[in-house]
Amino acid sequence: MPRSLKKGPYVEESLLAKVEKMNQSARKQPIKTWSRRSMITPEFVGLTFSIHNGKTFLPIFITENMVGHRLGEFAPTRTFKKHGATTDKATK
Amino acid sequence: MPRLMGIDIPDNKRIEIALRYIHGIGPTRAAFILEQTKIDPGKRANTLTADEIRAIIAVIQANFHVEGDLRREVSQNIRRLVSIGSYRGMRHRKGLPVRGQRTRTNARTRKGAKHTVGAVRDKAERNALKNAAK
Repeated sequence: MPRSLKKGPYVEESLLAKVEKMNQSARKQPIKTWSRRSMITPEFVGLTFSIHNGKTFLPIFITENMVGHRLGEFAPTRTFKKHGATTDKATK
Repeated sequence: MPRLMGIDIPDNKRIEIALRYIHGIGPTRAAFILEQTKIDPGKRANTLTADEIRAIIAVIQANFHVEGDLRREVSQNIRRLVSIGSYRGMRHRKGLPVRGQRTRTNARTRKGAKHTVGAVRDKAERNALKNAAK
């Protein structure tokens, strides 16, 4: 079930404050965040976020198309090491 | 035979059924269309008058995207997900389930028919493969 429209999109308060500050200052630096659950709002467009994937921070530039998605959708948390009997796990 | 929305030629079934042959129209929309046009759902598709066909087409065009338009819309949505580099787009690209279903078993609709990988039994053969990979 989707979130109630009455509440509006969820964005971490502290992150929103940082975004506003960054939009006012001229130079754009990546905003480091752990808040993968925050929804991308129109104010985010044009900024770069360093999104935590559980291990490192991935720099993601936000474009207009990404509005309405969550930050975490752009920083995958799993790495896929390929299948197959020929790969010897012990040697890697 | 009546032609609706381009190439769709539903046969001599009841129209409430025949309409569902159009991509984008299922039971709910078929019932809605017939209610709007006041056509008897039990009427056979090939007995429709030209006026009734026109009325059906008008209702469909006013309310729904069907056939080519719908397919284009869907593929555009997928292309958007892929191009913005989202998780869902990545799953589409890899041909895996998009909505968090398990993939340890099942997921055959997305993954296609089974292809067995299997271990290489013979030790010498296995080493040969391993060295070839390096």
